[in-house]
Amino acid sequence: LSSREKLLESIEELKLSLVANDVAYEVAENIASELTRRVEEGSIKSREDLVKALREILLSYFTGLNSIDLLSLASSRKPLKIVFLGVNGVGKTTTIAKVAVYMRENGFKPLMVAADTFRAGAQEQLKIHSERTGIPVFTGKYGSDPAALVYDAIQYGLNRGFNVFLIDTAGRMHVDVDLVNELKKIVRVAKPDVKILVVDALTGNDALEQARFFNEAVGVDCVVVTKVDAYEEGGVPLSLVYILKKPVLFIGVGQDYKDLKPFNPIEYVERILTGLQ
Amino acid sequence: MLMVFDNIRNALTRFLKGGDYEKSVEEFIRELQKELVRADVNLKLAVEITNRIKERALKSEPPPGISRREWFITIVYEELTRLLGGDKKPSIKPLKKPWVIMLVGLQGSGKTTTAAKLAYFYKLEGYKVGLVAADTFRPAAYTQLKQLGEQIGVQVYGEPDNNDAVSIAVKGVSFFIERRTDIIIIDTAGRHHKEEDLLDEMRKISEQVKPDEVILVIDASIGQQAHNIAKKFHETTPIGSIIVTKLDGTAKGGGALSAVAATGAMVKFIGTGEKIDELEVFNPPRFVSRILGLGDIESLVEKV
Ligand SMILES: Nc1nc2c(ncn2[C@@H]2O[C@H](COP(=O)(O)OP(=O)(O)OP(=O)(O)O)[C@@H](O)[C@H]2O)c(=O)[nH]1
Ligand SMILES: Nc1nc2c(ncn2[C@@H]2O[C@H](COP(=O)(O)OP(=O)(O)OP(=O)(O)O)[C@@H](O)[C@H]2O)c(=O)[nH]1
Ligand SMILES: [Mg+2]
Ligand SMILES: [Mg+2]
Repeated sequence: LSSREKLLESIEELKLSLVANDVAYEVAENIASELTRRVEEGSIKSREDLVKALREILLSYFTGLNSIDLLSLASSRKPLKIVFLGVNGVGKTTTIAKVAVYMRENGFKPLMVAADTFRAGAQEQLKIHSERTGIPVFTGKYGSDPAALVYDAIQYGLNRGFNVFLIDTAGRMHVDVDLVNELKKIVRVAKPDVKILVVDALTGNDALEQARFFNEAVGVDCVVVTKVDAYEEGGVPLSLVYILKKPVLFIGVGQDYKDLKPFNPIEYVERILTGLQ
Repeated sequence: MLMVFDNIRNALTRFLKGGDYEKSVEEFIRELQKELVRADVNLKLAVEITNRIKERALKSEPPPGISRREWFITIVYEELTRLLGGDKKPSIKPLKKPWVIMLVGLQGSGKTTTAAKLAYFYKLEGYKVGLVAADTFRPAAYTQLKQLGEQIGVQVYGEPDNNDAVSIAVKGVSFFIERRTDIIIIDTAGRHHKEEDLLDEMRKISEQVKPDEVILVIDASIGQQAHNIAKKFHETTPIGSIIVTKLDGTAKGGGALSAVAATGAMVKFIGTGEKIDELEVFNPPRFVSRILGLGDIESLVEKV
């Protein structure tokens, strides 16, 4: 085998290892074809070059994205309104409680808004988070219009000096037209400064679909990847930025309030690379 | 709801158009492998299946009266059916009374919702059903199950102020046995393969309650980790069957199928929505023939 053929073979292996780490197939193919291009044009000549180029490509996905800092946003925009969206069971409600604690620790006065009026126990879930953290929650009736609830919550909160609104929404499948319309209505009423898509780290190729559909429907400003404690080297962050070109704001690394971490692209890329070798 | 096989059907149609047999086998195999992986089937598993199909297709001779292409299709059919847990029809009838079911799975996979769906399903079949709320971890887990129980008119046993899941499970089961309940369904907290304390709790519940059936509830969108996770759960408490949830989205469910391979359990039901009646009995052979778009495949398989 010529060294060129060997390199192309290595690229194929790398592609499959990326796929084995849940980098979405489409993204892994994209990375592989970029590596192939570099082999063909002669800028990759050895296995070392290949790994170096891969690191560079992976990092490039995370560079040049608009960075979002909730703290400076909250200082400049009064109030800061954030809507959390995502498919069922990914960790939206838990993440809201974590972000609420984070905002309070940094001197802000957050209000959690329980705009999931559909799922059994959703209201009580956020109420318990409120009792445990001491951070107030605005709740409503099951079956009521979530957009109306959001409207009321904002009026209520503005009159009482809350400066961060964290709006929970019911989990929904991105292909469910009625529920997506409901979400659009919530967004119209809330006029959020930030729309955060929440995605489970254990998701496979569907992460692409979730990102695409929610982005088309209401627009996504950044993402939180949850349950990273179950899968540190998972490819979901990469798949999401590939589609959205928007940053990963936080990762969820457990079920406690403290289990929310800023996402560090450099660490993450090293973790993927170690996983490959 | 197409699950895993969305594009495989097209590849099969191309295969049936003819041309050199060996070449079209190779091409079909390549496409099959890619589609399986894109549908989140575990990489190793996808390679295993496609290699097995290829080997059988190229090395064995079709029985008399069957063309090579027909033979090939029956091989694909058999292997894909095996991927889904085999050609047995799932038995959903409890083998004895009371029948104690324990639901386990990752955080947010759909256990609590599925517990209520199952309770409703069996209630409609005429059984007396009870639900036990043994998740002491997630905020409002008891309230969630309680509200679902009220919706469907099924009694829920729970102790919202007790944080000992093992004791709640044990007491809940005896509570319902005393009331001559036919099917008792225990909801448990979500946990993952790296949370040893929680896995330990799950082991203890199962040791004390001795459930007749442990069901792994797994989300259709899960990727490559499904295999490891299912294996870890299976080692902790042997998994008897599997329910794949959230197949109403765009996920193909191939990850969930890795759980079949890792546990040897069958997919018994699938969840196709958030509503209480959005649960379907799953029948692998029928599913595969429907997906491959080959109405008469069963008669073909019989002929072979
Ligand atoms: N291990 C782990 N579990 C998490 C994490 N984030 C959330 N969870 C768990 O995931 C489960 C679902 O979380 P929720 O916050 O209810 O998810 P959701 O997106 O609001 O769900 P729906 O409102 O039903 O769509 C709960 O058991 C949480 O404790 C995380 O970062 N790590
Ligand atoms: N679209 C859809 N949503 C589902 C399905 N099954 C469950 N869900 C939703 O998934 C989310 C999580 O369901 P739960 O039943 O709370 O999950 P769980 O496994 O009990 O979660 P934990 O107790 O936190 O581990 C909820 O929003 C459910 O409504 C399904 O088949 N389709
Ligand atoms: Mg929620
Ligand atoms: Mg639950």
